[in-house]
Amino acid sequence: MGIRFMLCFNKQGVVRLVRWFATSDNSTDPQEEISQIYRLISSRDHKHQCNFFEFSDDTKLVYKRYAGLYFVIGIDITDEEPIYLSHIHLFVEVLDAFFGNVCELDIVFNFYKVYMVMDEMFLGGEIQEVSKDVLLERLSTTDRLE
Amino acid sequence: MDRRKTFAEPTASNTGSNIKGLQLFIADLRASQQSEDQLKRIHSEIVKIKQHFNASNKKSTSNGHILNNNKFDGYQRKKYVAKLAYIYITSNTTMLNDILFGLDEVIKLIKSNVFSEKFIGYMTLELLYRHKIVVERVNDQVITQLIKDISSSKDDFTELGLNFVGVTGTLTKDLASNQDLVSGVFQILRSPTSSLYLKKKSTLAFLTLLKSKNSILADDIQRKQLWIQRILSLLDDTDNYRLTLTTLPLVEYIAKNIDPSFFIRLIPQLSDILYKCVVTGGSNNGRGSFPDEYKFANMPNPWLITKIVSLLNVLIISPSETEDNNGLFESSLLHTDNIDPETLGRLRMCVMETINLGTRRTSDPMEKIVQNTILFSLINFASKLDPSHEAIVNSATALCELLNSNDINVRYLTLDSLIRLCSFSGKTAFDSIRGKNLDLIFHILNSERDSSIIRKVVDLLYTFADINNVKTIVEQLLSFILTSKHLSDPHLKSDIAIKAAILTENFSTDPSWYVNISLKILSLSVNTSSKDEEIWRRLCQIVVNNPQLQTLTCQKLVEYLRSNLTSEYIVKVAAFIIGEYTNLIAEKVPIADLFNMFTEKYFTVQNGTKAMILTTMIKLYRCQPGIGSAVIKFYQLELNSLDIELQTRSYEYLKLIQISKMNQNLHLLDTLLQPLPPFNNKSNPLLKRLGSLPIASSSTTALSSSRSRSSSMIWKNNSNDGSDNNDALQTTSQGTDVTAVPRPPPARKTRSSSTFSEMLNRNSTLDSKYNELKLSNNWREGSSRMFQFRQGILLSSPLLKVLYKIVVLDPTKLEIILTFANQTEWEISSLTSEIIASRTSNNPEYFLQNIQPPENPMIAPHHKVEQRFEIVIRKPFSCNEAPIASIYFKCGGSMNTLNLKMGLGVTSTLSTNGSVTLAQFVKRWKTLSDAMGKDGEYQSNDILVNLFENETPDGNLKKLINILMRMGFDIVEQTALSQTLFLAGIIHTKTDGNFGCLLKLSCLETGKVNITCKTTTGGPLAQYIVNCIIFAINK
Repeated sequence: MGIRFMLCFNKQGVVRLVRWFATSDNSTDPQEEISQIYRLISSRDHKHQCNFFEFSDDTKLVYKRYAGLYFVIGIDITDEEPIYLSHIHLFVEVLDAFFGNVCELDIVFNFYKVYMVMDEMFLGGEIQEVSKDVLLERLSTTDRLE
Repeated sequence: MDRRKTFAEPTASNTGSNIKGLQLFIADLRASQQSEDQLKRIHSEIVKIKQHFNASNKKSTSNGHILNNNKFDGYQRKKYVAKLAYIYITSNTTMLNDILFGLDEVIKLIKSNVFSEKFIGYMTLELLYRHKIVVERVNDQVITQLIKDISSSKDDFTELGLNFVGVTGTLTKDLASNQDLVSGVFQILRSPTSSLYLKKKSTLAFLTLLKSKNSILADDIQRKQLWIQRILSLLDDTDNYRLTLTTLPLVEYIAKNIDPSFFIRLIPQLSDILYKCVVTGGSNNGRGSFPDEYKFANMPNPWLITKIVSLLNVLIISPSETEDNNGLFESSLLHTDNIDPETLGRLRMCVMETINLGTRRTSDPMEKIVQNTILFSLINFASKLDPSHEAIVNSATALCELLNSNDINVRYLTLDSLIRLCSFSGKTAFDSIRGKNLDLIFHILNSERDSSIIRKVVDLLYTFADINNVKTIVEQLLSFILTSKHLSDPHLKSDIAIKAAILTENFSTDPSWYVNISLKILSLSVNTSSKDEEIWRRLCQIVVNNPQLQTLTCQKLVEYLRSNLTSEYIVKVAAFIIGEYTNLIAEKVPIADLFNMFTEKYFTVQNGTKAMILTTMIKLYRCQPGIGSAVIKFYQLELNSLDIELQTRSYEYLKLIQISKMNQNLHLLDTLLQPLPPFNNKSNPLLKRLGSLPIASSSTTALSSSRSRSSSMIWKNNSNDGSDNNDALQTTSQGTDVTAVPRPPPARKTRSSSTFSEMLNRNSTLDSKYNELKLSNNWREGSSRMFQFRQGILLSSPLLKVLYKIVVLDPTKLEIILTFANQTEWEISSLTSEIIASRTSNNPEYFLQNIQPPENPMIAPHHKVEQRFEIVIRKPFSCNEAPIASIYFKCGGSMNTLNLKMGLGVTSTLSTNGSVTLAQFVKRWKTLSDAMGKDGEYQSNDILVNLFENETPDGNLKKLINILMRMGFDIVEQTALSQTLFLAGIIHTKTDGNFGCLLKLSCLETGKVNITCKTTTGGPLAQYIVNCIIFAINK
């Protein structure tokens, strides 16, 4: 039930964000899992192939590419996929508003702020807040705290 | 706004939260192009950070205080830890071990009183808690600090603590095992003073704790009830559903894994929110009923909708799921046909409206995504709401049209929905999809270029294959494996082969087709992944168990060996099967030829297969000792093999030949190489490989195994007593390669053998939910009244008055109307009321049907709200097991629960058949005694009657007569015996029919009563009737 992990990497496979909410019993090393996912997703045609992939016995991937960055969510095999595309899109929209026309560099240099955004939006493998206004207001307050 | 502007140029930003040294380091790393340079830069930075940490530790210890938290040190620490976090991320987590030295500094950061330092500390730990080594080293310190932060008076610190629990709570069991931490988190959730913001976080933090340890709620009934009530009260935020959104996953988790019974009453409320979202919020004219910010991409809030639908999917159970009977909590769930008509109507409206929304044209890609999210969520739910034949056909037709969509995601989701529909609705769905669309589906299989889609197509074909279409489907699958150019996914091929193999086994009725196809599947397996091992083993087992397949298979295998179209697996099967059944083809194929064929293959296959061939050779020798010299030569050659197993086998077999030659008979070999007895594993190990089929996989597996049972041409001949098969297999396999064949697992417990005892068990116990309810103190009075009067007061409390009215619809069916009247000057809110039966499954004594839940969860001061339901009395039942109305409401900040057992029992369907005279009564009494003796009779003496208020015996008698008449008994007019009443009546039940009853009541001088009851049936009916009377005459 819910999100198992969230990943963001660029076209070269350099990881930009990684967040685990659950681990499989038979899970391989995290780095092995990440590179498997990278190889798989980067080889997929993003026009002629869908945004979903059954990755293992317990995990499905929902992913989307924005410019040079892939955003990937691993979900439970029993979950319905499409809502997680909205998760990704909302996350990117919030980052875009927070950083002002976000690009990969913002995420690289301010990775800890991106985690702040992530913590505001996703907890316990579930989405926590979907209002962009509420999120941005809260983020700007937190960001200013000493 | 200016905040956003600042961030347009992040490097130039000068807000307090920016860390300059970190950004320089990152820029440095980006500047070095070669990964070697980067690595060098990282290592030199690590050295620098280590030096700094060591220096600052020396300084602080020499100063005498460990936490020298001056601002400069804190900032430095934050900066260096952030660098370590960056190194961890950018190295794809591979440099974990290089940064672990900084853990102590991370702990110092979370102990800091500066928010930005604490944040970096927790953020870094959130990253690293995935690794056991980290958890083991710092967990105790982290938990101590967490508890402090969560109970801190600073909301910002509480927030960071809750975030940390919400991220890492399921990565380790340690958090959930700490009682103080669990209560700390729950305290935020329940406290009326916590902000909405913190409550949201605490619901999800609590969810993670529960996910890693169900026993937090499951092991303590009292806590379970109390805490769940608290959680439920979070759903009252009706302003914008923000808290609802985070509470729903928690509720769903509890309903799914711990106890759904508390949430059934939510169904009307959830349906209402769904209706507001989809129908009111979604229609163009209804705009404004839902705040704009909770729309997403011009569509109703997809998060709220999917969460609600997902929870409803858990709470509502459909007839087809009941058959599957795999639900742990089946009895606590609401059956589709028991949803009240109004709620059901609303839910169906939601489905219709979503389909309308789905056809709305839109150019915005995001809007399209949201549109599809809602559409598929509700379509998948729809089959639960309306399992009728027509509805299923309509869904199937509508979905099949979507298969032509241009949007690849839509095609994927459609296939997924079709699979769900099939595994859910069975044959009706199969027929309507297969009927017209089989060609379309084959076309998709051959034209799509996306392995995700192809998997779904294969799953769909697998789901609806049966005896009639199995040939077409399997042949299409095989030709796909052979011809497809788009098969880049290596696992896909093997998965398709597995599914084809299962279908072939389950549905083939033609032995030669079965053998042909199975061998063809094996010949296709080019890449010998160990996953496919099971396919050939399974084939061997089946051939061993089915003598009619043996000759045919041998012949086919010889053809394969001759044609050179041999995969590794074909050689394995050939080595085993031909070796085992050489004599069956010895007439047609000279054994020397067979020997030569295997010799030829020997040098092209892997060692495991070579070992099998060595065994085959000695079996060939046994049939035809004439080839002895060639065989011996071969073994002698292999004595030099580098592989120890091959060497050993060659040596052993060589010895065997020598020994048998010396004795001049083959007796020894005959003993060692006896024919294999049938295998005894009825469950197909390949079924384990269906992991990729979605939720329905369990039911699909059940389906296919039950189907395979009915078409069990394969296992039919396996009638040998299997008890000693294991031993037999072991003896024959000594020294032979049969050890490679998996030993049969113990036969799975079949359903039919367990159900009966389960049924017996369940019949003797009441639903746990019913049993766990604690009845309100003053329930008896209303219950007693209900046995006598068609309408009245069920309960009167200072806050709420509950009135009832009974309308007889037919002799065994009553409608009950409950009216809730607010007695106070304040509003009553969150009113829910659920009528709970003592048993809902396994042929219960009575059925409850919701007609209308409380119309409104709010009751204005001095206003009323109504609820209606029906009860059908099917069989006699004890009034101790009467339905309970479980009512929950809030008033002026207090939460109240009322559990009222209703005055319903066998006498609720009592009628009379004209008046009975004394003579008739006496005659019937005697007839009953003659016919049945003591069977069907019940006697209870010295019953206390607290309705008697020290009146005269005559006064008491009169009172008794009134009560009994109101209950519906016919009182026989007689003057023969004073202080004695004779009663007659007919009890109606729907399933068991009608029963007559006769009663004798005597009022004693002590003010107590003796009752004897006789009924026209055996069993406890008489006792039930007497109990009803006892209930009625006592408050």
